[in-house]
Amino acid sequence: MSINEYDVIVVGAGCAGPAAAKKAAELGLKTLILEKSQIPGHKNISGTCLNGAALIDPDLHYLLEGPVEREIREMRTHHVNKDRTTIFHEIPSEGILLLSVRRDHFDAWHTEQAKLAGAEVKLSTSVVDIIEEDGYVKGVITDSGEKFYSKVVIDAGGVNSIVGRKAGLIPKRSGTSMILYVTVCVKLGEEVVSERFGDCIEYYLSPGIQYKTWPWIFPKKDTVTVGTGGYMDENLLNDEFPNVNKYMENFLNLPIVKKKLEGGEIVAWGLHLEYDEAIEKRVKNGLILTGEAGGFVIPFLGEGMVEAFFTGIYAAQSAAKAIEAGNLTEDKLSETYEELRGENLFMQSFRYIAEVNKETILSKTDDELTRLMQTVIIGGGFISNAIHAKWMKGVEEEDFGLVQEAYDFLELIQPYMQVDRDFEDLYNERRRK
Amino acid sequence: MKVEMKVNYYPGDTGEFIKVIEDKCTGCGQCAKFCTREVWESDGAIYRPVNLKKCVECGACWNVCEFDAVIFSEPKGGTGVSFDYG
Repeated sequence: MSINEYDVIVVGAGCAGPAAAKKAAELGLKTLILEKSQIPGHKNISGTCLNGAALIDPDLHYLLEGPVEREIREMRTHHVNKDRTTIFHEIPSEGILLLSVRRDHFDAWHTEQAKLAGAEVKLSTSVVDIIEEDGYVKGVITDSGEKFYSKVVIDAGGVNSIVGRKAGLIPKRSGTSMILYVTVCVKLGEEVVSERFGDCIEYYLSPGIQYKTWPWIFPKKDTVTVGTGGYMDENLLNDEFPNVNKYMENFLNLPIVKKKLEGGEIVAWGLHLEYDEAIEKRVKNGLILTGEAGGFVIPFLGEGMVEAFFTGIYAAQSAAKAIEAGNLTEDKLSETYEELRGENLFMQSFRYIAEVNKETILSKTDDELTRLMQTVIIGGGFISNAIHAKWMKGVEEEDFGLVQEAYDFLELIQPYMQVDRDFEDLYNERRRK
Repeated sequence: MKVEMKVNYYPGDTGEFIKVIEDKCTGCGQCAKFCTREVWESDGAIYRPVNLKKCVECGACWNVCEFDAVIFSEPKGGTGVSFDYG
């Protein structure tokens, strides 16, 4: 193999990229990871809470050794209107629910793990095009015009992935399928964050602070990240809301929020786009799309990072099998990729929960939604609503297939209802290392 | 609390990573409407990404353009927006 030839090239060092590169290197493949920023994580904006229900999967255990900001054990949901504020306080587990991280720290650490496994890392390198020959993706071209060749390219380039677009796999989107989030990071100091937020994440719903999304506050070590936004349809922006900052401003100035952030200072601001739409095809001869580039994100549930870890790892495994077989076709790559995803209980169940809830919620008016939200609690409530909605529909329409589906799902998620204690033990054991 | 858009940038020229295809641009202004950073400005009958230095690379402009008139590529490696606390 010459100097610019690899078994696998991974584009992007966010969540999916390092996971893919680490796995590929561990499987003995000559692996290169290309990242456009100077430090991995510097181009990323996200909710930054990793879901314990996914991290319990043995494939992801190594991530528990990474830099964690705060262990999250509780959730609070606030419904605020001018007359009253209703707070649902959930402690849905006996242990850790989520791990809050900083992407600039976590992605950099994760990339280092890929490097330690044997992957070559090139930072400050933007991929601007793909090399296609004889119907196969054979490599990538960087901003300096340099060409890198590989048997398989794994695209982990995120929501606006160039590779996926150039390969014709990422379709043109419309506003109704896109969500624009704005985030601010407020520095309060570790003591104040612990006192006001502790190990609890918060969700809010109130007129004028969101547009069909869930505003949130996630505590980190000495800061909290605040996020809100909305679907980019014709109703998102208007005279009253000239841009998404207006939703954020209203959110920050809700009396209950204002009090919690008192004395704080905004130290960072960012924007992030998400597609709420599946991609039909994630694989092409010599190419696999992972993470957000592959549409593996559920904006509705704020779930994206763990899906990226999983699909990155699965893509590396698929590439290894295809390379071993000397068959880099779309069919061969898809075979393993689909099989591994199909076996992933977390991905299957979260997609199911999102689908059913989205149908319930996006079809309702704001008034109906507010009433519904009095009974549906975000988090555990989404799961029960997913089961309840399907179950009731089945009963009403005398369609016992639907009732059976709801029942099957309840069975399916049983392991996750008890994972918290296990996760806590696992986490502590890994941290001791 | 006021929303302060605190954003860091790497030093160095990003290159023209966002461009408008003049023939395709109808001047509808959706790109400018959905740009939170005021990157796009009206120039006669079309819009241009004149303030690239303020761009945070979210991709809203090329996604909302119904006429495929926006080319959204990557800034040169190691340049452009740099988020802390992402």
